[in-house]
Amino acid sequence: MRFKVFIIGIFIFLIGVIQSTILNYFEVYNVKPNLLVVFIILSALLRGNTEGAVIGFFAGLSQDIIAGKVVGFYALLGLYLGLVVGSLNKRLYRENFLVAIFFTFFSTIAYELAVYLMYKGGEYIVAPTAGIQFNVLFVLKHIVLPEAVYNSGISVFMYMLVMKLFQKLEYLDKAARKY
Amino acid sequence: MLRILKNKYFILVLVTIAIFFTIGLSAKPDSNANWVSHIINATVSPLQKIFSFSGQKVSGSLSFFKDVKAVQKENEELKARIDQLEKENAQLQEYKVKNEELKSALNLKDQFNEYDFVGANIIAKDPGNWFNVFTIDIGKNNGIGNNFPVVTGKGLVGSVYSTGLISSKVVSIIDIDSTVSARISKSREVVRVKGDITLKEQGLCRMDYISPEVDVEVGDTIETSGLGGIFPKGIIIGKVKEIRQTNNELNRYAVIEPAVDFKRLEEVFVLKSKTGNTGVDNTAK
Repeated sequence: MRFKVFIIGIFIFLIGVIQSTILNYFEVYNVKPNLLVVFIILSALLRGNTEGAVIGFFAGLSQDIIAGKVVGFYALLGLYLGLVVGSLNKRLYRENFLVAIFFTFFSTIAYELAVYLMYKGGEYIVAPTAGIQFNVLFVLKHIVLPEAVYNSGISVFMYMLVMKLFQKLEYLDKAARKY
Repeated sequence: MLRILKNKYFILVLVTIAIFFTIGLSAKPDSNANWVSHIINATVSPLQKIFSFSGQKVSGSLSFFKDVKAVQKENEELKARIDQLEKENAQLQEYKVKNEELKSALNLKDQFNEYDFVGANIIAKDPGNWFNVFTIDIGKNNGIGNNFPVVTGKGLVGSVYSTGLISSKVVSIIDIDSTVSARISKSREVVRVKGDITLKEQGLCRMDYISPEVDVEVGDTIETSGLGGIFPKGIIIGKVKEIRQTNNELNRYAVIEPAVDFKRLEEVFVLKSKTGNTGVDNTAK
Protein backbone atom coordinates (compact mmCIF):
# COMPACT_ATOMS: atom_id res chain seq x y z
CA MET A 1 0.00 0.00 0.00
CA ARG A 2 2.73 2.40 0.95
CA PHE A 3 4.61 1.44 -2.16
CA LYS A 4 1.54 2.13 -4.27
CA VAL A 5 1.07 5.60 -2.81
CA PHE A 6 4.73 6.33 -3.42
CA ILE A 7 4.65 5.21 -7.06
CA ILE A 8 1.44 7.10 -7.86
CA GLY A 9 2.85 10.15 -6.11
CA ILE A 10 5.94 10.06 -8.30
CA PHE A 11 3.78 9.51 -11.35
CA ILE A 12 1.68 12.61 -10.60
CA PHE A 13 4.80 14.63 -9.90
CA LEU A 14 6.36 13.63 -13.23
CA ILE A 15 3.21 14.35 -15.19
CA GLY A 16 3.04 17.76 -13.54
CA VAL A 17 6.61 18.60 -14.52
CA ILE A 18 6.16 17.39 -18.11
CA GLN A 19 2.90 19.28 -18.32
CA SER A 20 4.48 22.57 -17.34
CA THR A 21 7.61 22.27 -19.48
CA ILE A 22 7.75 20.02 -22.52
CA LEU A 23 4.08 20.14 -23.37
CA ASN A 24 4.41 23.80 -24.27
CA TYR A 25 6.02 22.64 -27.51
CA PHE A 26 3.01 20.53 -28.40
CA GLU A 27 0.44 23.26 -28.60
CA VAL A 28 -2.09 22.87 -31.39
CA TYR A 29 -4.39 25.82 -32.08
CA ASN A 30 -2.91 27.50 -29.00
CA VAL A 31 -4.18 24.70 -26.79
CA LYS A 32 -2.23 22.01 -25.03
CA PRO A 33 -3.62 18.82 -23.57
CA ASN A 34 -4.01 18.51 -19.82
CA LEU A 35 -2.30 15.26 -18.86
CA LEU A 36 -3.17 15.63 -15.20
CA VAL A 37 -6.87 15.79 -15.98
CA VAL A 38 -6.60 12.78 -18.29
CA PHE A 39 -4.79 10.92 -15.54
CA ILE A 40 -7.50 11.75 -13.01
CA ILE A 41 -10.27 10.64 -15.37
CA LEU A 42 -8.57 7.38 -16.31
CA SER A 43 -7.62 6.38 -12.80
CA ALA A 44 -11.12 7.17 -11.59
CA LEU A 45 -12.52 5.04 -14.41
CA LEU A 46 -10.30 2.13 -13.55
CA ARG A 47 -10.25 2.36 -9.78
CA GLY A 48 -13.62 3.75 -8.69
CA ASN A 49 -14.67 6.88 -6.84
CA THR A 50 -12.64 6.77 -3.64
CA GLU A 51 -9.28 6.32 -5.28
CA GLY A 52 -10.37 8.62 -8.09
CA ALA A 53 -11.14 11.35 -5.59
CA VAL A 54 -7.84 10.93 -3.72
CA ILE A 55 -5.79 10.88 -6.92
CA GLY A 56 -7.81 13.81 -8.24
CA PHE A 57 -7.11 15.79 -5.12
CA PHE A 58 -3.36 15.26 -5.25
CA ALA A 59 -3.08 15.74 -9.01
CA GLY A 60 -5.01 18.99 -8.66
CA LEU A 61 -2.85 20.02 -5.75
CA SER A 62 0.30 19.51 -7.78
CA GLN A 63 -1.13 21.73 -10.50
CA ASP A 64 -1.92 24.32 -7.85
CA ILE A 65 1.62 24.22 -6.58
CA ILE A 66 3.28 24.35 -9.98
CA ALA A 67 1.37 27.28 -11.38
CA GLY A 68 -1.83 28.00 -9.51
CA LYS A 69 -2.62 31.43 -8.21
CA VAL A 70 -4.18 30.08 -5.04
CA VAL A 71 -3.66 26.74 -3.34
CA GLY A 72 -6.73 24.52 -3.49
CA PHE A 73 -8.44 25.71 -6.65
CA TYR A 74 -7.47 22.81 -8.88
CA ALA A 75 -7.33 20.40 -5.93
CA LEU A 76 -11.03 20.92 -5.25
CA LEU A 77 -11.98 20.53 -8.90
CA GLY A 78 -9.76 17.47 -9.28
CA LEU A 79 -11.32 15.88 -6.20
CA TYR A 80 -14.82 16.22 -7.58
CA LEU A 81 -13.77 15.21 -11.08
CA GLY A 82 -12.34 11.95 -9.74
CA LEU A 83 -15.35 11.41 -7.52
CA VAL A 84 -17.96 11.96 -10.22
CA VAL A 85 -16.18 10.00 -12.95
CA GLY A 86 -15.47 7.19 -10.49
CA SER A 87 -19.11 7.05 -9.43
CA LEU A 88 -20.32 6.90 -13.02
CA ASN A 89 -18.09 4.04 -14.03
CA LYS A 90 -19.85 1.32 -12.02
CA ARG A 91 -22.33 0.51 -14.74
CA LEU A 92 -19.99 0.64 -17.67
CA TYR A 93 -17.63 -1.84 -19.07
CA ARG A 94 -14.51 -0.01 -18.16
CA GLU A 95 -11.81 -2.05 -19.81
CA ASN A 96 -12.61 -0.55 -23.13
CA PHE A 97 -10.79 2.07 -25.12
CA LEU A 98 -13.89 3.77 -26.42
CA VAL A 99 -15.31 4.25 -22.96
CA ALA A 100 -12.07 5.95 -21.95
CA ILE A 101 -12.13 8.28 -24.96
CA PHE A 102 -15.80 9.05 -24.48
CA PHE A 103 -15.33 9.81 -20.79
CA THR A 104 -12.24 11.91 -21.36
CA PHE A 105 -14.03 14.03 -23.93
CA PHE A 106 -17.09 14.84 -21.88
CA SER A 107 -15.36 15.06 -18.52
CA THR A 108 -12.81 17.51 -19.92
CA ILE A 109 -15.60 19.74 -21.17
CA ALA A 110 -17.35 19.62 -17.81
CA TYR A 111 -14.09 20.13 -15.90
CA GLU A 112 -12.83 23.06 -17.94
CA LEU A 113 -16.19 24.79 -17.84
CA ALA A 114 -16.14 24.32 -14.08
CA VAL A 115 -12.68 25.92 -13.98
CA TYR A 116 -13.99 28.91 -15.91
CA LEU A 117 -17.12 29.31 -13.81
CA MET A 118 -15.23 28.90 -10.55
CA TYR A 119 -12.67 31.46 -11.67
CA LYS A 120 -15.46 33.89 -12.54
CA GLY A 121 -17.09 33.15 -9.19
CA GLY A 122 -13.84 33.97 -7.42
CA GLU A 123 -13.59 37.19 -9.37
CA TYR A 124 -17.07 38.08 -8.22
CA ILE A 125 -16.20 37.43 -4.58
CA VAL A 126 -13.10 39.64 -4.82
CA ALA A 127 -14.81 42.49 -6.64
CA PRO A 128 -18.61 42.20 -6.59
CA THR A 129 -19.18 45.65 -8.03
CA ALA A 130 -17.14 45.21 -11.18
CA GLY A 131 -19.27 43.80 -13.96
CA ILE A 132 -18.50 40.18 -14.69
CA GLN A 133 -18.53 39.27 -18.35
CA PHE A 134 -19.14 35.73 -19.45
CA ASN A 135 -17.69 34.58 -22.72
CA VAL A 136 -18.86 31.01 -22.40
CA LEU A 137 -19.37 30.48 -26.12
CA PHE A 138 -15.98 31.84 -27.08
CA VAL A 139 -14.31 29.88 -24.34
CA LEU A 140 -16.11 26.72 -25.38
CA LYS A 141 -15.12 27.09 -28.99
CA HIS A 142 -11.52 28.21 -28.57
CA ILE A 143 -10.31 26.55 -25.40
CA VAL A 144 -12.60 23.87 -24.03
CA LEU A 145 -13.54 21.93 -27.16
CA PRO A 146 -10.05 21.85 -28.73
CA GLU A 147 -8.63 20.74 -25.41
CA ALA A 148 -11.29 18.05 -25.05
CA VAL A 149 -10.45 16.69 -28.49
CA TYR A 150 -6.73 16.81 -27.77
CA ASN A 151 -7.21 15.16 -24.39
CA SER A 152 -9.30 12.38 -25.90
CA GLY A 153 -6.54 11.68 -28.40
CA ILE A 154 -3.92 11.59 -25.67
CA SER A 155 -6.16 9.42 -23.49
CA VAL A 156 -5.60 6.43 -25.81
CA PHE A 157 -1.89 6.37 -24.98
CA MET A 158 -2.41 7.37 -21.38
CA TYR A 159 -4.98 4.60 -21.03
CA MET A 160 -2.46 1.95 -21.95
CA LEU A 161 0.10 3.47 -19.61
CA VAL A 162 -2.22 3.91 -16.65
CA MET A 163 -3.70 0.44 -17.14
CA LYS A 164 -0.23 -1.11 -17.09
CA LEU A 165 0.65 0.94 -14.02
CA PHE A 166 -2.35 -0.22 -12.02
CA GLN A 167 -1.94 -3.83 -13.13
CA LYS A 168 1.67 -3.80 -11.96
CA LEU A 169 0.74 -2.17 -8.69
CA GLU A 170 -2.01 -4.68 -8.05
CA TYR A 171 0.34 -7.52 -8.81
CA LEU A 172 2.92 -6.15 -6.40
CA ASP A 173 0.25 -5.62 -3.77
CA LYS A 174 -0.82 -9.24 -4.05
CA ALA A 175 2.74 -10.46 -3.91
CA ALA A 176 3.32 -8.42 -0.76
CA ARG A 177 0.21 -9.82 0.89
CA LYS A 178 1.41 -13.41 0.69
CA TYR A 179 4.00 -12.88 3.32
CA MET B 1 -19.47 9.83 16.89
CA LEU B 2 -16.97 7.38 15.53
CA ARG B 3 -19.39 6.19 12.92
CA ILE B 4 -19.84 9.68 11.56
CA LEU B 5 -16.08 9.96 11.08
CA LYS B 6 -16.13 6.90 8.88
CA ASN B 7 -18.94 8.18 6.72
CA LYS B 8 -17.65 9.01 3.26
CA TYR B 9 -19.98 11.94 2.78
CA PHE B 10 -18.89 13.46 6.04
CA ILE B 11 -15.24 13.22 5.03
CA LEU B 12 -16.06 14.71 1.65
CA VAL B 13 -17.82 17.71 3.17
CA LEU B 14 -14.99 18.16 5.64
CA VAL B 15 -12.33 18.09 2.93
CA THR B 16 -14.31 20.48 0.76
CA ILE B 17 -14.62 22.98 3.56
CA ALA B 18 -10.92 22.60 4.36
CA ILE B 19 -10.01 23.30 0.72
CA PHE B 20 -12.20 26.40 0.60
CA PHE B 21 -10.50 27.56 3.74
CA THR B 22 -7.05 27.07 2.17
CA ILE B 23 -8.11 28.91 -0.97
CA GLY B 24 -9.17 31.84 1.15
CA LEU B 25 -5.94 31.78 3.13
CA SER B 26 -3.62 31.47 0.16
CA ALA B 27 -5.38 34.10 -1.94
CA LYS B 28 -3.07 36.72 -0.47
CA PRO B 29 0.33 36.35 -2.18
CA ASP B 30 2.34 37.05 0.96
CA SER B 31 0.37 34.72 3.18
CA ASN B 32 2.13 32.07 5.22
CA ALA B 33 -0.24 29.41 3.89
CA ASN B 34 1.91 29.28 0.75
CA TRP B 35 4.99 27.91 2.45
CA VAL B 36 4.13 24.29 1.63
CA SER B 37 3.92 25.11 -2.03
CA HIS B 38 7.18 27.05 -1.78
CA ILE B 39 8.98 24.02 -0.37
CA ILE B 40 7.61 21.69 -3.02
CA ASN B 41 8.35 24.23 -5.71
CA ALA B 42 11.95 24.37 -4.58
CA THR B 43 12.25 20.66 -5.31
CA VAL B 44 10.29 20.79 -8.56
CA SER B 45 12.07 23.72 -10.16
CA PRO B 46 15.48 22.06 -10.78
CA LEU B 47 13.67 19.28 -12.60
CA GLN B 48 11.62 21.78 -14.56
CA LYS B 49 14.83 23.54 -15.47
CA ILE B 50 16.28 20.36 -16.95
CA PHE B 51 13.10 19.56 -18.83
CA SER B 52 12.55 22.97 -20.33
CA PHE B 53 16.23 23.34 -21.19
CA SER B 54 16.23 20.07 -23.11
CA GLY B 55 12.92 21.00 -24.70
CA GLN B 56 14.38 24.26 -25.94
CA LYS B 57 17.44 22.48 -27.29
CA VAL B 58 15.41 19.87 -29.14
CA SER B 59 13.02 22.37 -30.64
CA GLY B 60 15.96 24.63 -31.49
CA SER B 61 17.92 21.94 -33.29
CA LEU B 62 14.82 20.77 -35.16
CA SER B 63 14.17 24.21 -36.51
CA PHE B 64 17.87 24.48 -37.38
CA PHE B 65 17.50 21.96 -40.15
CA LYS B 66 14.25 23.45 -41.27
CA ASP B 67 15.39 26.94 -42.00
CA VAL B 68 19.02 26.89 -43.08
CA LYS B 69 18.07 28.47 -46.39
CA ALA B 70 15.97 31.15 -44.83
CA VAL B 71 18.80 31.91 -42.44
CA GLN B 72 21.26 32.37 -45.28
CA LYS B 73 19.04 34.90 -46.97
CA GLU B 74 18.33 36.60 -43.69
CA ASN B 75 22.02 36.76 -42.94
CA GLU B 76 22.70 38.81 -46.04
CA GLU B 77 19.86 41.13 -45.29
CA LEU B 78 21.05 41.53 -41.74
CA LYS B 79 24.56 42.39 -42.84
CA ALA B 80 23.26 45.22 -44.94
CA ARG B 81 21.15 46.32 -42.03
CA ILE B 82 24.12 46.28 -39.68
CA ASP B 83 25.96 48.74 -41.87
CA GLN B 84 22.99 51.00 -41.88
CA LEU B 85 22.49 50.70 -38.14
CA GLU B 86 26.12 51.35 -37.36
CA LYS B 87 25.87 54.61 -39.17
CA GLU B 88 22.75 55.49 -37.25
CA ASN B 89 24.28 54.34 -34.03
CA ALA B 90 27.21 56.70 -34.31
CA GLN B 91 24.80 59.52 -34.75
CA LEU B 92 22.68 58.39 -31.84
CA GLN B 93 25.70 58.20 -29.56
CA GLU B 94 26.18 61.83 -30.20
CA TYR B 95 22.57 62.50 -29.32
CA LYS B 96 22.90 60.42 -26.20
CA VAL B 97 25.75 62.45 -24.86
CA LYS B 98 23.89 65.60 -25.66
CA ASN B 99 20.73 64.25 -24.06
CA GLU B 100 22.55 63.34 -20.88
CA GLU B 101 24.09 66.75 -20.66
CA LEU B 102 20.72 68.38 -21.06
CA LYS B 103 19.11 66.02 -18.59
CA SER B 104 21.66 66.71 -15.91
CA ALA B 105 21.20 70.37 -16.60
CA LEU B 106 17.50 69.99 -16.01
CA ASN B 107 18.08 67.68 -13.03
CA LEU B 108 15.77 65.00 -14.38
CA LYS B 109 15.85 61.75 -12.52
CA ASP B 110 16.27 58.68 -14.66
CA GLN B 111 13.84 56.15 -13.26
CA PHE B 112 15.61 53.12 -14.59
CA ASN B 113 18.79 54.00 -12.76
CA GLU B 114 17.04 53.09 -9.55
CA TYR B 115 16.70 49.50 -10.65
CA ASP B 116 18.97 46.51 -10.96
CA PHE B 117 18.27 44.22 -13.89
CA VAL B 118 18.34 40.63 -12.69
CA GLY B 119 18.36 38.07 -15.51
CA ALA B 120 16.17 34.98 -15.26
CA ASN B 121 15.20 31.97 -17.35
CA ILE B 122 11.65 30.79 -17.78
CA ILE B 123 11.56 27.21 -16.54
CA ALA B 124 7.87 26.38 -16.64
CA LYS B 125 4.56 27.63 -17.93
CA ASP B 126 1.04 27.27 -16.67
CA PRO B 127 -0.11 23.66 -17.16
CA GLY B 128 -3.63 24.65 -18.15
CA ASN B 129 -4.99 26.72 -20.99
CA TRP B 130 -6.60 29.46 -18.97
CA PHE B 131 -3.91 31.59 -17.45
CA ASN B 132 -0.66 33.05 -18.65
CA VAL B 133 1.55 32.46 -15.69
CA PHE B 134 5.11 31.22 -15.83
CA THR B 135 7.87 30.26 -13.43
CA ILE B 136 11.34 31.81 -13.46
CA ASP B 137 14.46 30.37 -11.87
CA ILE B 138 15.23 33.10 -9.33
CA GLY B 139 13.53 33.75 -6.04
CA LYS B 140 13.94 35.10 -2.53
CA ASN B 141 17.58 34.00 -2.53
CA ASN B 142 18.26 36.50 -5.29
CA GLY B 143 16.40 39.24 -3.49
CA ILE B 144 13.24 38.98 -5.55
CA GLY B 145 9.94 39.86 -3.92
CA ASN B 146 6.29 40.13 -4.83
CA ASN B 147 5.16 42.73 -7.36
CA PHE B 148 8.58 43.23 -8.89
CA PRO B 149 8.23 44.26 -12.54
CA VAL B 150 9.43 41.82 -15.20
CA VAL B 151 10.66 43.05 -18.58
CA THR B 152 12.70 42.07 -21.61
CA GLY B 153 14.80 44.28 -23.82
CA LYS B 154 11.72 44.92 -25.93
CA GLY B 155 9.18 45.83 -23.30
CA LEU B 156 6.99 44.91 -20.39
CA VAL B 157 6.33 41.25 -19.60
CA GLY B 158 4.43 41.35 -16.32
CA SER B 159 5.04 41.25 -12.60
CA VAL B 160 6.08 38.74 -9.96
CA TYR B 161 3.16 37.60 -7.85
CA SER B 162 4.54 34.80 -5.72
CA THR B 163 8.11 34.22 -4.65
CA GLY B 164 9.60 30.95 -3.48
CA LEU B 165 13.14 30.34 -2.35
CA ILE B 166 14.66 29.59 -5.74
CA SER B 167 11.80 30.23 -8.12
CA SER B 168 9.03 32.76 -8.59
CA LYS B 169 5.80 32.93 -10.51
CA VAL B 170 5.19 35.75 -12.94
CA VAL B 171 1.82 36.94 -14.22
CA SER B 172 2.17 38.27 -17.74
CA ILE B 173 0.28 41.32 -18.98
CA ILE B 174 -1.90 39.18 -21.27
CA ASP B 175 -3.14 37.09 -18.35
CA ILE B 176 -6.83 37.63 -17.65
CA ASP B 177 -6.05 38.74 -14.09
CA SER B 178 -3.52 41.37 -15.06
CA THR B 179 -4.21 45.10 -15.11
CA VAL B 180 -1.59 47.71 -15.89
CA SER B 181 -1.97 51.44 -15.72
CA ALA B 182 -0.66 52.75 -19.03
CA ARG B 183 -0.23 55.89 -21.04
CA ILE B 184 -0.53 56.64 -24.74
CA SER B 185 2.92 57.93 -25.62
CA LYS B 186 1.67 60.53 -28.07
CA SER B 187 -1.16 62.17 -26.16
CA ARG B 188 0.03 61.33 -22.59
CA GLU B 189 -3.48 60.09 -21.83
CA VAL B 190 -3.76 57.54 -19.02
CA VAL B 191 -5.49 54.31 -19.96
CA ARG B 192 -5.74 50.79 -18.62
CA VAL B 193 -4.23 47.72 -20.26
CA LYS B 194 -5.89 44.49 -19.31
CA GLY B 195 -5.63 40.84 -20.23
CA ASP B 196 -8.61 39.48 -22.11
CA ILE B 197 -9.64 35.88 -22.53
CA THR B 198 -10.71 36.36 -26.13
CA LEU B 199 -7.39 37.96 -27.12
CA LYS B 200 -5.01 36.03 -24.90
CA GLU B 201 -4.36 33.13 -27.20
CA GLN B 202 -3.23 35.43 -30.00
CA GLY B 203 -0.84 37.06 -27.52
CA LEU B 204 -2.76 40.34 -27.47
CA CYS B 205 -4.34 42.41 -24.74
CA ARG B 206 -6.96 45.09 -24.44
CA MET B 207 -6.86 48.80 -23.65
CA ASP B 208 -9.80 50.31 -21.79
CA TYR B 209 -10.79 53.64 -20.30
CA ILE B 210 -10.04 55.66 -23.40
CA SER B 211 -11.83 58.93 -22.92
CA PRO B 212 -13.96 59.96 -25.90
CA GLU B 213 -12.05 63.09 -26.82
CA VAL B 214 -8.70 61.35 -27.02
CA ASP B 215 -7.30 60.71 -30.44
CA VAL B 216 -6.04 57.15 -30.73
CA GLU B 217 -4.71 55.67 -33.92
CA VAL B 218 -3.53 52.28 -35.01
CA GLY B 219 0.21 52.08 -34.45
CA ASP B 220 0.33 54.35 -31.40
CA THR B 221 2.83 53.26 -28.78
CA ILE B 222 1.60 52.47 -25.29
CA GLU B 223 3.88 52.68 -22.26
CA THR B 224 3.50 52.24 -18.52
CA SER B 225 2.24 55.29 -16.69
CA GLY B 226 4.04 54.76 -13.40
CA LEU B 227 0.76 55.08 -11.53
CA GLY B 228 -0.06 52.29 -9.12
CA GLY B 229 3.46 51.92 -7.88
CA ILE B 230 4.39 48.54 -9.35
CA PHE B 231 5.81 49.47 -12.72
CA PRO B 232 8.22 52.32 -13.25
CA LYS B 233 7.20 54.94 -15.75
CA GLY B 234 7.99 54.65 -19.43
CA ILE B 235 8.36 50.93 -20.11
CA ILE B 236 7.04 50.12 -23.57
CA ILE B 237 3.99 47.86 -23.47
CA GLY B 238 3.14 47.62 -27.14
CA LYS B 239 1.36 49.15 -30.07
CA VAL B 240 -2.30 49.72 -30.86
CA LYS B 241 -3.36 47.08 -33.36
CA GLU B 242 -7.02 47.78 -33.75
CA ILE B 243 -9.63 50.09 -32.30
CA ARG B 244 -13.02 48.57 -31.66
CA GLN B 245 -16.24 50.42 -31.07
CA THR B 246 -18.59 48.84 -28.55
CA ASN B 247 -22.34 49.24 -28.61
CA ASN B 248 -22.40 53.00 -28.23
CA GLU B 249 -20.42 55.75 -29.91
CA LEU B 250 -18.47 56.92 -26.90
CA ASN B 251 -17.41 53.58 -25.62
CA ARG B 252 -14.47 51.97 -27.34
CA TYR B 253 -11.50 49.83 -26.59
CA ALA B 254 -8.29 49.09 -28.41
CA VAL B 255 -6.48 45.84 -29.06
CA ILE B 256 -2.85 46.09 -28.08
CA GLU B 257 -0.08 44.06 -29.61
CA PRO B 258 2.56 43.73 -26.88
CA ALA B 259 6.16 44.47 -27.80
CA VAL B 260 7.10 41.16 -26.26
CA ASP B 261 6.34 37.93 -28.10
CA PHE B 262 4.90 35.76 -25.33
CA LYS B 263 5.02 32.61 -27.42
CA ARG B 264 8.78 32.70 -27.78
CA LEU B 265 9.75 34.11 -24.43
CA GLU B 266 12.70 32.34 -22.82
CA GLU B 267 14.68 34.89 -20.85
CA VAL B 268 13.46 37.89 -18.90
CA PHE B 269 14.80 40.55 -16.53
CA VAL B 270 13.36 41.27 -13.13
CA LEU B 271 13.67 44.89 -12.06
CA LYS B 272 14.98 45.02 -8.53
CA SER B 273 14.75 48.36 -6.83
CA LYS B 274 18.12 49.54 -5.51
CA THR B 275 16.55 51.44 -2.69
CA GLY B 276 14.77 48.33 -1.45
CA ASN B 277 11.43 50.00 -1.84
CA THR B 278 9.14 47.59 -3.64
CA GLY B 279 6.45 50.14 -4.18
CA VAL B 280 2.86 50.07 -3.13
CA ASP B 281 1.46 46.78 -1.93
CA ASN B 282 -0.98 45.68 -4.57
CA THR B 283 -2.39 42.49 -3.16
CA ALA B 284 -5.97 43.65 -3.43
CA LYS B 285 -7.20 43.34 -6.94
